[in-house]
Amino acid sequence: MTDTLSTSQQHRNDDTPLLSVRDLRVTFHRSGEEPFVAVDGVSFDLRPGDTLGIVGESGSGKSVTSLAIMGLLPKRGVRVEGEVLYNGTNLLTLSPDQMRDRRGAELGMIFQDPLSSLNPVVPIGVQVTEVLERHRGMSRKAATPLAREMLDRVGIPDPDRRLKDYPHQLSGGMRQRALIAMALAAAPRVLIADEPTTALDVTIQAQILAVLKDLVEDTGTAMIMITHDLGVVAGLVDRVNVMYAGRVVEAAERHPLFADPRHPYTWGLLQSIPRLDGARGERLNPIPGSVSDNLPWTSACAFAPRCSQPIEVCTQRTPELVEDHGRSLRCFNPIQHGRPSPDADTTRGTSEVTR
Amino acid sequence: MSGVQPSATDTSGAQSTDGAHTAYGHDDRNDDVLVDVRGVKVHFPIKRGVIFDKTVGHVYAVDGIDLQIRRGETYGLVGESGSGKSTLGRAILNLEPPTEGSVEFDGIDIASLQGEELRRKRQDIQMVFQDPMGSLDPRQSVESLLLEGMKAHGLTKDGTEASRRLRELLSAVGLPVAALKKYPHEFSGGQRQRIGIARALSVNPKLIVADEPVSALDVSVQAQVINLLEDLQEEFGLTYLVVAHDLAVVRHISDRIGVMYLGGIVEEAPADALYATPLHPYTRALMSAVPVPDPLVEDRRERIILTGDLPSPSNPPSGCRFHTRCPWRQETKCDTERPVLRVPDIPGVAADHRVACHWAEQIESGEIQPHEVTAEFVEQHAGGGDGSLMGPATAVEAMVHHPGNTAGGGGGGG
Repeated sequence: MTDTLSTSQQHRNDDTPLLSVRDLRVTFHRSGEEPFVAVDGVSFDLRPGDTLGIVGESGSGKSVTSLAIMGLLPKRGVRVEGEVLYNGTNLLTLSPDQMRDRRGAELGMIFQDPLSSLNPVVPIGVQVTEVLERHRGMSRKAATPLAREMLDRVGIPDPDRRLKDYPHQLSGGMRQRALIAMALAAAPRVLIADEPTTALDVTIQAQILAVLKDLVEDTGTAMIMITHDLGVVAGLVDRVNVMYAGRVVEAAERHPLFADPRHPYTWGLLQSIPRLDGARGERLNPIPGSVSDNLPWTSACAFAPRCSQPIEVCTQRTPELVEDHGRSLRCFNPIQHGRPSPDADTTRGTSEVTR
Repeated sequence: MSGVQPSATDTSGAQSTDGAHTAYGHDDRNDDVLVDVRGVKVHFPIKRGVIFDKTVGHVYAVDGIDLQIRRGETYGLVGESGSGKSTLGRAILNLEPPTEGSVEFDGIDIASLQGEELRRKRQDIQMVFQDPMGSLDPRQSVESLLLEGMKAHGLTKDGTEASRRLRELLSAVGLPVAALKKYPHEFSGGQRQRIGIARALSVNPKLIVADEPVSALDVSVQAQVINLLEDLQEEFGLTYLVVAHDLAVVRHISDRIGVMYLGGIVEEAPADALYATPLHPYTRALMSAVPVPDPLVEDRRERIILTGDLPSPSNPPSGCRFHTRCPWRQETKCDTERPVLRVPDIPGVAADHRVACHWAEQIESGEIQPHEVTAEFVEQHAGGGDGSLMGPATAVEAMVHHPGNTAGGGGGGG
């Protein structure tokens, strides 16, 4: 598992990556149960100003990846291996104190549920100024106007009044804006957004994505956008990593990835989403089964039981992640020209229910 | 399925949604309508005080809705959280008795039914819920879950008949017979939703109200359930009311769509017409906000980004409820007169496409251009009547200067 997703040897001059994740592996140990590998050999590079999308369904390991980078996984029962190099320092070897200095200041994070990531008994203004005091060494007095400006920049109306508000007084969209303001207050160089719009309505989602896009462009912050929604990354990021069962199965620039998905999982996802601009009345083409049908990566391709075109080798060996023309792919029998290959072994029925 | 066109729409513009019935040319095809919703309102009282339990205001969850669902069609209700779409779905089942108005199911006014009669009528109307784990009793086996409804409605005479019926149900929703002895926790989310659908089917309903049937499921599993719902409709001749926030899902599955905003339907049209020519400013904004998994489309798209939040349903704006966020809002009418669902006078727009906007024609022709809108802050948990709580929202409202249409040409911000 030394396969590397170098984001850009060919494109973008070879400035050194800001964040470089090397062979990240997260294992959960629970007493009386087999160890569970949630993230299995994930590698990628993030350059200043890059935006990377990590897409996957529940259980794909996308959130655990972000928590591992931020050092937010519990110490007990969790083993994190590999390297997370930030400016040459391996974050995984830092002490909790050293990590705390970097978290917020250098690496910011936005979570899915803003209500549980904001302190309910502290006014919004204090929570934003706290970041500035802690990471920029400002006094409360000097930080307040800046906090006001941050709230204004993320589009919170009447920011002077909102500084004194508590999280419960804000709507979901406004809370998420407050969280973005907090995350960006200390001007981090990397921002990890973990499903930032999943709990929001579409019109509010459009607002939040627009705010994020503008701020990331203005501040030159590199962003990792974690989501299950291919539509969200389609218009937002430079490059997309598609994860399945803890491993990256396909990674490419967003245009080639969407125009010509090569991994049957990526292809299947795109086929199964009803599109607003698609032809109506056409039947959707779902991926059969569910994640409970997965095979272990150690001896096979985990996706094989749900795959539209498995061949014999899929259930016998582990496919490696191979890079070719800026695209990384982990598949023995990839999709050709947007269509499943004709020589697929279709006799292997995919069982929908295994348990 | 949506081939039936209303024959008379001439008077609809003159009707008021408040209580009065909207003429929709339904007299000549009454048998065709399975559900007839007339002027339905559902208002929830907001109570305060320990001893007197004083009502200090109302949440106007559903506020004057007329809609007809025809036999065999799928009617989609879309709207964001707080638009009242789920409450309307529940009102149709009389799970939430309407404060005003009537719901006729198969020619019978549901509100007039009580006790045993209502219970028997519910056999014809079943519901599929969003959260399959929360709506299945974890301590009942699948067999017992499916039999419960059949027993309650006297559909199982003997054991062999029942077990044959159970097998049929399971095969209809694509589960193995072995599933009967298992419990809900042993299944994945998609399979649980299949059990929920099998339970709804078990009593041979005519109408199934599906409230966000796929939104709790993973993307790859969503499509399985959507296909299943479509197959079952064909097989059993079901009528669906699908309530969902995902416009792409609703467009895919529905024949006709009603778009809800703050308790009212702002636009209603056949699914294709709604997508091809959205007429209401809110529908336009909603359409433009739905992400499309295609970078080519996303890069070219013009987004109408709405400012601010949905206003509180306990203190809805006067006039058109959308006027506080509408980029096409005008100085006259919008703030004061509540628009009625009507067929707009636009060439190419069919008589089954109705919109509740005063200026639909002028917006479509480009006569009225969108302008910037200043966001208003919406106080959360604001109780009606309590002056101090309502303060900020009204204060902000007062400060916002009305942009009018002098600022024409602005692309709606962002």
